Formats: sequence, structure tokens, C-alpha cells
Amino acid sequence: MSSAGEKYRRFSRREFMGLAAGGAGLLLLGGCGGSQGQGGGSQTIVCSLGPDTTGARQKQIAQFNQKYKGKYKVKSRIMPSDVTQQLQQYRTDFQANSSIPDMIQGDCTWPAELASNGWIIDLSDRFTKSMRAKFLPSTLTSDQYSGKIWGVPYWHDSGMLYYRKDLLEKSGFSGPPKTWDQLKEMAKKVKSDSGTKYGFVFQGANYEGGVCNALEYIWSAGGDVLDPSDPRKVVIDSPEAVKGLQMERSMVDEGITPQSVAAWEENESQAPFLHGDAVFMRQWSYVYALLSDPSQSKIKPEQVGITFIPSFSEKEPGFGCVGDQSFYISAASQSQDIAWKLIEFLSEPKEQKLAAIQGGYLPTLKSLYNDQEVLKKVPVMGVAKEPLARNKPRPVSPYYSDLSLKLQAQFNNSLKGTVSPEQAAKTLQGQISQIIKKASA
Amino acid sequence: MTTANEQRKARGKRVRGLIGKSGEFRNPERRLAYYMVLPTLLIILAVAFYPVADSIWLSLHQATLTVTGPFVGFKNYLLLFQDSVFQQALANTVIFTVASVTIEFVLGFAVALALNRPFRGRGLVRAAVLIPWVLPTVISAVMWRLMLQDQIGVLSYAAHALGLVHQPILLNHTYLLIASILVDAWQTTPFIALLLLAGLQTIPADVYEAARVDGASTVQRFLRITVPLLKPTILVAVLFRTLDAYRVYDLFYGMANRQLESLSTYVYEGVRITQLQFATGNAAAVFIFVTAFLVALFFIKVLGMRTATEE
Repeated sequence: MSSAGEKYRRFSRREFMGLAAGGAGLLLLGGCGGSQGQGGGSQTIVCSLGPDTTGARQKQIAQFNQKYKGKYKVKSRIMPSDVTQQLQQYRTDFQANSSIPDMIQGDCTWPAELASNGWIIDLSDRFTKSMRAKFLPSTLTSDQYSGKIWGVPYWHDSGMLYYRKDLLEKSGFSGPPKTWDQLKEMAKKVKSDSGTKYGFVFQGANYEGGVCNALEYIWSAGGDVLDPSDPRKVVIDSPEAVKGLQMERSMVDEGITPQSVAAWEENESQAPFLHGDAVFMRQWSYVYALLSDPSQSKIKPEQVGITFIPSFSEKEPGFGCVGDQSFYISAASQSQDIAWKLIEFLSEPKEQKLAAIQGGYLPTLKSLYNDQEVLKKVPVMGVAKEPLARNKPRPVSPYYSDLSLKLQAQFNNSLKGTVSPEQAAKTLQGQISQIIKKASA
Repeated sequence: MTTANEQRKARGKRVRGLIGKSGEFRNPERRLAYYMVLPTLLIILAVAFYPVADSIWLSLHQATLTVTGPFVGFKNYLLLFQDSVFQQALANTVIFTVASVTIEFVLGFAVALALNRPFRGRGLVRAAVLIPWVLPTVISAVMWRLMLQDQIGVLSYAAHALGLVHQPILLNHTYLLIASILVDAWQTTPFIALLLLAGLQTIPADVYEAARVDGASTVQRFLRITVPLLKPTILVAVLFRTLDAYRVYDLFYGMANRQLESLSTYVYEGVRITQLQFATGNAAAVFIFVTAFLVALFFIKVLGMRTATEE
């Protein structure tokens, strides 16, 4: 192939995608009425967000538009709720060099891919050290890639362990389990004392959440997927990682967790817990709010406590998997400065407070975890304060989506018992090494 | 020698016929007709052939979503056939297609024969039979998933109670494949039944009467009259269903939630979710296109399906 042909091809495909993205953009914006030009002389930017039924996000954008009336105007574009679908749309937009959107709300597993393709801008200069110091340290780790920072976290979440205080007390336990073995022991005792149907429920399906769950076991055993000090080194085939996967599988083998956990996502696993049918549950923070809604939950918040993900030793608790979302600015945007103004605005304590109270978005700013008003209205921030601060990000790679698919499949196989934990780790070692090799080629 | 010469001459005449003095293009009316068809031909080329050609092109390169890398020949196809996930997807798809189409055809034929007899409320039954087919596949897939799910699923409960299964259905690959075949049969048997029913009604009643007068038995009448006269309809129905089943995506995705791979879900995953499997995903798309095309050719050439009303 001649290089001219090569160039022509790339160009034509890009143009085609441009048309498609432009078309989609027009469609999406059509409903808002008015084009970029109309705004009474103000500059308009488009901010792409996930769906928000609470109206918190819309309110914040309206506040921003009010504050900068006549100067800037933000329009929001609402995306599908599935983050995988969101990423697919953004790939199309960015690849087409579309100037819409200017800014996106994205998942914490994306920055490496978006940054290595040159689709988002480096925020190291804007997001200064003093500004960063106001954020929970663990929320910043996943936005870092190749020594720079690419996003500003606005929504924090982490894996944590929910437990039934009342049932544990009834069986004579004074506190929640610290290790996996204690969890098993307590689950067995409570099951026989109170007749609870399940001991421990979590998310084990062949999907992204299954990766988060399995990684928590692996981390608590001291293992990891990639070497934290050298992310080009694959370390999944280690005794520690195998130990973690074995522990996850043993939950099923010992009858603490039902076999069907390997098909469960968030909804399937929270249903038995809210129904009072489980002693322990690994979950994200949002379920705590459901406890105070009698139409959703048979148990009350008073009956439930939240603690760290267990580990293998009593000395150190395990790590929760980070489930944050951040804001990123498009490299193709014509109005990056305005986008940054919006990010700064949304990162102010009073805005994060509004998002937390009205929208349930847990803040990324440290100060709000001591704010009495927020703590009162979003009780999970107090109940789970420490677990929320103890977490690790998933492996950082520009090819995370490839890597994750392999992890999802093997972790699920290991949990189902179709392959042994040793075999799963070995297979992953080969598959991920291949991906890393391709990525560095 | 002479024959070769004659052939050449004849060919020359034909070519001249198109562009020559008295040919198609000399006739202004005919020429206009060609001009008027031209846009349509261009649209067909752009719409039908460009995407296929683009996929083939990409499948021959070391392409990712963002960069079309160097030409690699058939390497992506080699990688594809070595990929155990693809092998599994191919096996699933073939088993699913053969089994579901066979069941649907047998059941659909029986239903069509039954509905072809006059009885009270036939109109109502014909309409009622269509219900499963009217539901969007995604909806029926999710509906059946709930019934197979082990917390609240009625089918899962029944199957466990009867001792038919020993594992959660949604986790076992074989159970899921069987379930998806049965759901597909449930959903599309009415489609085949109605197509065949329409065919049955075009067979004139006097043919049967004549056969009965000649003393032909029911079986003979079925085999000698119904089946041959229905053959064109059967072939159309079975080809439609085969190609449809071969492309299965929504049923697997909705019901098995990624525990069951089909060729189409494989392509989706490669092209839309991953970055590094983009090229093999394209190769798989081309594979589906080519094999589906071969299946259609088999029906037309070998089984003698008519694609248009000739004569």
C-alpha cells in the first residue's frame, strides 16, 4: 500500500465518522432549540453528561449559566446510562475531531485510552497542586496517566462491605469481620442462628463489576494485575492473586454465597440484602440510601453497618475498588477555557454539596466529609467514611477495554468453577502480556 | 476454428449492439432510461457494496479504530480461526441455527396444516398464534431470562424441582444454548406457520379431490401433492429463518447476558468494545457475510429456489 493511499483512506474514514458524529450531535441538540450562534452574544459550550434523574446536574448548569449570563452558556448533552455505550459514542466524536462535546463526564477507567489517543487535554497546569490537595487522594490516582493529570474527579464511589448489625449481635459477634475467614465464620453462624438465606452476596457476573469484585479479593491478598511500580509488568499469575481468586471461589464452594452469584450484577445482589435475606453484601455506596425507603427495603438503616472490604490479616483492612467519575476536556474543543471554568465551578464545595444532597453524588472534596449538613442528609458519607477513603483504582492501560474483557471472562470462569483459579491466573498472564506487548508496539 | 471465429464475431456484435450505430445507446429513449437508472445503481453501490468492501479492506490490515495500519494479508483471519472464543461462537451459532430452524420448520408445518382446515374461530386462532412473533426479540429475551433466573424464575424453580438441572440455568453454557433454541422456536414458529399456511392456500382443492378419486391415501396426498407444490414456499421460509438465526444477536445478548457468544456478538465485541480486536472483529464480519451468502447460494443453486417469478 502506498502511503498516499493510506492517507486518503484515513482521511475519508475520518470524514465519514465526522458526518456521523455531526449528525448525531445535531439530533441531540435539536431538542434544545437554538444553535450555538443564538445566546445573546455569549459563547456556548456543550457538556456531555450521563443521565441524572434527580435534576441536580441541570440545576448546577442553570446556576453556572446564571452566574455567567451574557458571557458563557453551557448546554448539556445527555448520554445513555451504560458507560460502555458512552465510551463508544465518545470514540466516534473524538475520532471525528468533533468540536462537540467540549467537555465530558467519564469513567475512571478511561483517561489512559482518551489521553494516549490525544483526545483529551492534559490538565496538569490548570489543576494545580494546591487545588488537588483539597481532593481525597484516592480519587486522583485514576486520573493520572504517564505522569500527568487528565481529569478532575467529581463523583466518588468505592466498593465496601455492608453487614447486618442486628443479626451479628444476635449471634454474639461484637463487630464486623476484618478478614475473609471471619466473614465466613460469622455468615455460617448467623445462617444457622437466624435462618438467613444467604451469607454473603456480591457481583460476580461476566461484566465490569465482576472485575471490581475479584480485584478486591486479589488486592487484599497482596496481588495485582499489573505491577504498581512498573505497569508494563504483568503480575496476575502470582500466588497472591491466586489466593484471592481461591477465596472468592470458596464463598460459593462453602455455600456462603449462592452459585448463581456468577450471573449477578448490582440489582440481583442488592435484592436479597434489601429483602433481609443476606448477612453480608459487597456493594457501592448508593444502596445505603435505598434502606430508608420502605418501598425498596424490608430492613432499616439502623440494622445495617458498613465496613472495609475484608482482607487476609487482621492488621490491615482490604481495599475497595474505585468507581469514580471525572470531568475531561476535549482536545478538539474550541472553548477549553470555558470548559475549565465550568469544572472549577462544579468543584466548589457548595456545588459538590448540592450534587451530594440532591443527586446522591458522593463528593470528591475532603472537606465535605466533615460538613455536618451533608453528613446529615447523605448519611452513608458518615457511616462509610473510612471505607470510602481506602481504595485502589483498576489497572491503568490505554487498552483497558481489551484488558477488562479478558479479566471479566476469566474471573467469571473461576467463580463459576469452569476453570481453576490457578488456570484463570495463568491464562490471564498470557492474554494480558499479549495486550501489553501490542500496546507498547 | 470456425466456431471460435463465430463466437468472437457474435461477441463483437453484442458489444457493438450496446454502443454501435443501431445499439441501445443510439436510441435516445433507451439512453435516457440508462441515465435515469444510473443514480439508483450508484446508490446501491454506495449503500450495499461500500460497507462490505470497507469491512473486507479493514480485515486485511492491522487496523485499530483510529489507525489503518499496514497490509497484513490474511493474518487477521488466521488469528480469528485460532481464537477459541470465535470457535465457540461459531459452534454455538451453527448448533443454534440448525436446531432452531429444524424445530421451527416441523412445528410450523404442523401448525400450518392444522390451521388450513376449516374450524370455528380459525381467524382468532391465526391471529393469536402470531403473538410471540410480534414481541420484539429483546423483550421476549429479557422476559425469558427472568423466568430462568434462579431467585424468582418460575422455569428455574420447575426445572430444579423436576431434577432436570443441577446448576443455575443462567450459568451453564449448555442449558443456555438449549434455552435459547427453545425460545427462538417459541418465537418464530408462528412466522413459518403463517408463511406455509399462505402457501397451502394456493394449492387448488380440486387436485386433492382428483387424487382422492384415484384412491390416493392421506400420506400419498401429503407427499405427492402438498410437499412438491409447497416446495417454493418452504424454501423461502427456511432460507429466511436460516439467515435470520445465523445472525442471532439480540436473543443471546438479552437472555444470556454475555454467557453465550454468537458470531454477531463476537463482531460487536471486537469492533465496538475492544480496540485491539478491531481487525479480527472485521474479519469475523466478513466471514459472516461470506458464509451467509454461500448458504443463500446453496438454496438457490442446489435446492432450486426461485428468486423471482419467471416464465
